[in-house]
Amino acid sequence: MVEESVLTDDLVRQLINVGEVDILVGLPTHNNARSVEPVVHAIQAGLLQGFPRERVVIVNADGGSRDGTPDLVTGASIDDLRRSYKGYALRTLHSISTRYANNPSARVGLRTILAAAELLRAKACAVVSPESTGMEPDWIPRLLRPVYSENFDLVTPIYRRHKFEGLLVSNLVYPMTRALYGQRIREPYASEFAFSARLGSHFLAHDPGNYDSHGSGAELELAMSAITGGYRTYQSFLGTKSQGEREGGDLVPAMRRTVGVLFSSLEANFAAWSSHAGSQPVPTLGSESQVTLESIRVNRKRLKQMFTAGVAELEPVFRSILSSTTLAELQRIATLGDDDFHYPAELWVRTVYEFAASYAKSVMSRDHIIQGLAPLYRGRIFTFLEENRSSSAEEVEKNIESLCLEFERLKPYLLEVWNTKK
Amino acid sequence: MRELIWRELTQAGEEIIREFAHLLPRLIEMLIITLVGWVIAIALKWILRSVLRLAKFDQLSENSGASQLLNKAALPSSTELLSRFIFWVAWLGFILLGVSVLGIGGLQAHISRFFLFLPRVFLALFIIFFGLLAASFFSRATLLAAVNSNLPSPRLLSTSIRTLLIIFVVSMAFEELGLAEQTVLLAFGIAFGAAMLSLAIAFGMGGRDLARQFLEKRLVREVKSEKEDEPSPL
Amino acid sequence: MPARLDTLWYKNAVIYQVHVRAFYDSNGDGIGDFAGLAQKLDYLQELGVDAIWLMPFFPSPLRDDGYDISDYTSVHPNYGTLEDFKKFLEAAHERQIKVIIEMVLNHTSDQHPWFQESRSSRENPRRDWYVWSDTDTWYKGARIIFLDTELSNWAWDPVSKSYYWHRFFSHQPDLNYDNPAVREQMWTLMKFWLELGIDAFRLDAVPYLVEREGTNCENLPETHAIIKELRQKLDHEFPGRMLLAEANQWPADLRPYFGNEDEFHMAFHFPLMPRMFMGVKLEDRKPITEILQQTPEIPPSCQWGLFLRNHDELTLEMVTDIERDYMYDSYARSKAMRLNLGIRRRLAPLLDNDRRRIELMNGMLMSLPGTPVLYYGDEIGMGDNVNLGDRNGVRTPMQWNGGWNGGFSVADPESLYTSLLLNPVYGYQAVNVLSQKRSEHSLLSWMQQIIRVRRSTPIFGSGLIEFLYPANHRVLAYVRQLGDETILVVNNLSSSAQAVELDLRRYKGKIPIEMFGRNLFPRVAEAPYLLTMGPYQFYWFRLRRI
Repeated sequence: MVEESVLTDDLVRQLINVGEVDILVGLPTHNNARSVEPVVHAIQAGLLQGFPRERVVIVNADGGSRDGTPDLVTGASIDDLRRSYKGYALRTLHSISTRYANNPSARVGLRTILAAAELLRAKACAVVSPESTGMEPDWIPRLLRPVYSENFDLVTPIYRRHKFEGLLVSNLVYPMTRALYGQRIREPYASEFAFSARLGSHFLAHDPGNYDSHGSGAELELAMSAITGGYRTYQSFLGTKSQGEREGGDLVPAMRRTVGVLFSSLEANFAAWSSHAGSQPVPTLGSESQVTLESIRVNRKRLKQMFTAGVAELEPVFRSILSSTTLAELQRIATLGDDDFHYPAELWVRTVYEFAASYAKSVMSRDHIIQGLAPLYRGRIFTFLEENRSSSAEEVEKNIESLCLEFERLKPYLLEVWNTKK
Repeated sequence: MRELIWRELTQAGEEIIREFAHLLPRLIEMLIITLVGWVIAIALKWILRSVLRLAKFDQLSENSGASQLLNKAALPSSTELLSRFIFWVAWLGFILLGVSVLGIGGLQAHISRFFLFLPRVFLALFIIFFGLLAASFFSRATLLAAVNSNLPSPRLLSTSIRTLLIIFVVSMAFEELGLAEQTVLLAFGIAFGAAMLSLAIAFGMGGRDLARQFLEKRLVREVKSEKEDEPSPL
Repeated sequence: MPARLDTLWYKNAVIYQVHVRAFYDSNGDGIGDFAGLAQKLDYLQELGVDAIWLMPFFPSPLRDDGYDISDYTSVHPNYGTLEDFKKFLEAAHERQIKVIIEMVLNHTSDQHPWFQESRSSRENPRRDWYVWSDTDTWYKGARIIFLDTELSNWAWDPVSKSYYWHRFFSHQPDLNYDNPAVREQMWTLMKFWLELGIDAFRLDAVPYLVEREGTNCENLPETHAIIKELRQKLDHEFPGRMLLAEANQWPADLRPYFGNEDEFHMAFHFPLMPRMFMGVKLEDRKPITEILQQTPEIPPSCQWGLFLRNHDELTLEMVTDIERDYMYDSYARSKAMRLNLGIRRRLAPLLDNDRRRIELMNGMLMSLPGTPVLYYGDEIGMGDNVNLGDRNGVRTPMQWNGGWNGGFSVADPESLYTSLLLNPVYGYQAVNVLSQKRSEHSLLSWMQQIIRVRRSTPIFGSGLIEFLYPANHRVLAYVRQLGDETILVVNNLSSSAQAVELDLRRYKGKIPIEMFGRNLFPRVAEAPYLLTMGPYQFYWFRLRRI
């Protein structure tokens, strides 16, 4: 069913020739010619280093590139590698490519990779972003080894990041996922991750496919289904994450494919998240987090100004999403000057939880609910930046941890707003 | 005289009794038709509901966003709405059929006119209902997009869009009903033209800078310096 | 055509490698001998071999299976007399079977009279026939070959109180080839055997003849000069005779040993063999195609010697560390199976006694470019005994029948030079010539058949090879071509059934004829040629235009 719709005849023919494999690395692309080659070489070198004996294949799922990206992937020869890395392949290292559609879709791309992995009976499968130019070969074994040798089902990465990077993750996605599902996964939405055959098949078979209409965020859905399905999760420290174009993009699309997916997951998994409190650490290879501190330029004023404008202008929208007390509180802090402004963690958590509940109840178009959260997020970020302006790495960690605990502490509040005004 | 009156009265009474006697079977007929119509309408409703459930119509409407609109309007689910609608249309039809059996003069013509007019009323109601919903949806979408891209006066923008859409929808509904076509068209033309003119003036006078920015962004593809200053979300 | 005039006979030959000691004992002393070997020549003729390669049979203390020679011009008394050898040689030639003997140029036994003289005093005229030194610090660049037994390439001689050089065991001192007298003497010895009528020499350990400070003492130009000199004399005085090199080197390093058709006629292709085993285990043709791509062209009169197994360990010197670890893990899980940098096992046990894989490996051996060399006993699927020391586990007596001593000898079993295999799977009662001759479907009968098919055309020995690279990497396919004759070989390296599409457009219109059953296959067309193959199956097709 899935295979019929996702896999073209040409891909099936290529898969026949590849035959059964032990390890599959998926590379979803769309017009990545500028960055894809070093990534493919790093994948190949990583496979040679980490899995010299295993049967491996690189599957490129292309969303209609017009810059020859698939040719670069399949044409990347291992012979170029021999000079730079001392890798030696015992076996034929396959690179195959398929165009799943003429328009990119993270979901269809991931499903193509999953379907290929299932047909080839890959025991472990990794997905790598074609924009991760900073990727080192040892990322591959770091991601795949726990799945391949230690029977973990999902391996998410930990990156070395600047303290002010990935703030949506550290201020919302990570703490809320952790509070809801009890697993401390630092990067639930990752561009590099690995998963087991059984998780891949489960996701392929149970993917509801209607979480969001934009087709993005499928990566997070996979992580969600691993967490909620009781699969064994693991984290591997990889290294410095380079900011690709996808990550540097607009806030709202980023929120759609992270916060949107997270909110959507609540309904289906009510039994899973409503029943327990607290959270457990996830087994981790390497450091739990690494933060760099060099100064970066941030336009704080603009954040604050967009928050204030948002609270004022969106009042009719917020009235149907937020409780009156929360809204009043927001309106109060919106009047504060730049120096006094403070968006406290507790208020932020309440805001997020009320948004999540309203999202579930579809008080308006769900996409509008997500968009409505964006200005409030900017206000929260303003406070986060102020609080951590001169913090050390440990202090930043501590602040994130305390935010997480706040999310965990206020979980009963989520249940409360979830159950009322239905 | 008394006798005359009496006779007239008895005649009238007889007339009434006769008329009544004449009417009674029709009344019973009408009641039976109404009753049967009610049963048939319920059956229709039940069948439609099962069919829609089987076809997962709710999910479909959820995906298309219609459910959210219904939710907003505090209406039941689309399956329920549709089946109830069919029930009432069917039953109303039977009731009118029953009334026409009574053979009351003039009523017949009115009823047939009503039946002819009915679809237009439905269509007009439909247009207004969804038009209003669409107006609120698009105005909110504009509001959010304007806020998130830091455009000036988002409220004004969204209100203008809502007003335009409402005018448009109402005029469409009136046109459908065939009422005061000319007047409505003229009114719409005036309102729309005025709104457009005011927008154009506003954009040209107050938003020169904005317009330039907008055009530059579109044509020059300038590096988004503002965005670089925002910490990356992911 | 008289055999002697066919100077390129080795290009299309099938060579059979045998120990005199292990083949057949005619006099009941428990050790095989030349009279016994002569009696079994009919068996070899029936098998279809063109040449016999004899392991060293010279007088020797037998501390390295005869490679430690103490007299180069006679026969070890255990194996008979020089007269017995002459009779055997004559009998072989009567059956059109050539005889290849060993010549160990690099070193002698420390029991050889030359070394005894050389060590007796520093003033002895034979002193500089060997490589002596007062210190053990010279030639540090030379690797130690027998890692498991030797610590240094120098050994202390208590008699003359100095160090002598040895690349192999310490009881095998290296001759000094910088001394013209040594070179002259060695040619004299070779001439002795050539005059008796032998057809070829396998020269042992040739890369190590000359030592030079600051090098790894292998493949030196001086060594090549010595070989050129020998070859010149050979061609001049004994045309049609052949020199076969044993040089365990990478193909690119081996290439100089062919010279410009003025050094060796043949050399063993050492790196190919472990990669054939690897390819079958990995179910991937890559190791095989890769090594053959790296193999340089050789002059037309030269030839590679191919083998699956021989008297030594399955050497893993010519593979990378990753490959060696893989080979150990897949073919020698038990430490007892490993020796030096190799695996001391025979063909059948290496392949789990899987008849399909044994056939596939032999099929590749017979169809890849080169002259195949069979190791005695492998044609019936004999086993090994890893509990015997060194490489003796693969040198047990030939198993002729299920009777007394497996038909090898009438001696008491206790007095055999080594014990027979008694294992219920591989022992002589289960695996022997007599029982396999009785069955048309035995491995022995199959070997006879494949040798016959191979010998039906010179294409396998002399033709060009061109690899096809079907998208299915578990299929190794190549085309052999000679003149207008074309043979297509397709091997399924996988343990499961495979479909493969071959691009045969160049042969469009030809009809493939399967060479064993001579059945016709569908005509080649423009579209990819689809073949379905069973596990470990291989096909040889003659592509004919009819």
